[in-house]
Amino acid sequence: MAEIILKNVNYQYPLEEKEVVCDFTYCFEQGKVYGLIGENESGKTTLCNIIRGFIPELYRGKLEGEILINGRKISSYDSGELASIVGYSFQNPFVQISGVKDNVYEEIAYGMENIGVPREQMIKRVDELVKMFHLEELVDKNPYELSGGQKQRVALASMIALDPEVVIMDEPTSQLDPKSTEDIFEIVNILKKQGKTIILIEHKIDLVAEYCDSILLMHQGELVMHGDAKDVLTDPKVLEYGGQLPQIVLYFLKQGKLKGNEIPLTVKEAVEKILKEAQR
Amino acid sequence: MDSRIGKLYPTTKFMITLLVVIISIFTPGYVLQYIMFPAFLIISLMAGTTKQFLNAFFKSIFIIILFIFAMQVFIITNEDQTPIWGFIHFSQAGLATSLSMTSKITAIASAIMTFFETTKVKDITYALEYAGTPRKVTFLISSTIQLIPQMSSLSKTITDAQKSRGIETEGGLMTRIKAFVPMLGPLVLSSIQQTEERVLALESRAFSAKGKKTSIYVLHKTGLDIVLEVLSVILLMGYVVWRVM
Repeated sequence: MAEIILKNVNYQYPLEEKEVVCDFTYCFEQGKVYGLIGENESGKTTLCNIIRGFIPELYRGKLEGEILINGRKISSYDSGELASIVGYSFQNPFVQISGVKDNVYEEIAYGMENIGVPREQMIKRVDELVKMFHLEELVDKNPYELSGGQKQRVALASMIALDPEVVIMDEPTSQLDPKSTEDIFEIVNILKKQGKTIILIEHKIDLVAEYCDSILLMHQGELVMHGDAKDVLTDPKVLEYGGQLPQIVLYFLKQGKLKGNEIPLTVKEAVEKILKEAQR
Repeated sequence: MDSRIGKLYPTTKFMITLLVVIISIFTPGYVLQYIMFPAFLIISLMAGTTKQFLNAFFKSIFIIILFIFAMQVFIITNEDQTPIWGFIHFSQAGLATSLSMTSKITAIASAIMTFFETTKVKDITYALEYAGTPRKVTFLISSTIQLIPQMSSLSKTITDAQKSRGIETEGGLMTRIKAFVPMLGPLVLSSIQQTEERVLALESRAFSAKGKKTSIYVLHKTGLDIVLEVLSVILLMGYVVWRVM
């Protein structure tokens, strides 16, 4: 279930000569949270577009390799079907509004209307989502009149409304304040508990370290490092590829006492570790 | 729009509008047609949309009517014209033509304007969808309506951006015209550019999913709707029979 396999995927945008994604091979397992990191223009968003099927359906260009979702070739799905399997929220919240609904409540329901969910079920689900995303005050507002952060939350809610098995979030917190960012990551946790596969592009590395199970590091279109968060995010090689390491890890690396997985990833782990040592 | 008239089912209002349009076109004379104006004024009074109604009427239809009168009565050559001054003359036949023309315009415009002022676009698209119109068509309608405020805010953003770079956008008529032209380019281009992103946004909401679509927004036909609809059908049939006989 909800397993995504990419085999030797290469992609080149039309009119461009360089490959944006080259020789990407990976298997995303169900129920895990994947952090996709890397510098700008390293191909993260393009990769997500490939997994979502927008490439090659909406963007032309040269796509090679094999992409399987639940063991079926991605090209064998039709686009409507794929929308309820792979949910995708974009980087830019301003373009995620459908533009046909005049209030947030109906905006969230729009996707469900399209796949023909019965009305009672829709109302129940929208109410749930409104609570989950703390949108109570926004339900009657016009989606166009919201601020960036509010739009982003509405867009995420509308995407989750379709109950996809795989959730791709492209910098879901880029417009959000620290509190709303925490809220989004709480939602990531909830989704994870529901057994969804989550692919998260995020630059806030400390939060990635806290919430992601596995890390994929991309550099110039290639998957240069991957593995458990604990293994990847304690490896100074990440820095060579233009990636970032959590502050805590940097501190312990500089100190030089701990090596590899022993290094705590988050403040919480670090505090626990230090307390333990102090007790000894 | 929350008045009793505003809450009528769109189809009901549309049928009444259509009835008025048909009767206005096929009834000779101009008295009945001119009566439609005060009649719809009363209706919009009841619906609480008088202000919009009068505003729209005097800003557009009234000017057209005046223009037609002026042209028909004083300028266009007719056989019965009596000269007044230069190319200006008075014509009885022109007066008759303009009366029959403007009365029809008044009646039809009043009916249609009242229809759109008392009906939410959302209700129209819902009724269309319910009647089996494809979602793509209703999308076109509602997105166009939503586009207008969005475009105007976009144009404001562009003007602000240009202002902050030192382009003068305020002042006399000429400055305003000069500032208007360079704004059009970015406005049109960014609107076109946005379509790509709009496609992605819609696709991620399963816009092209096949199968039956549902709606979280519902409208119900009430007894009053059915009575009015039946009544307008009977009236229309009666009118046709009366005119043909």
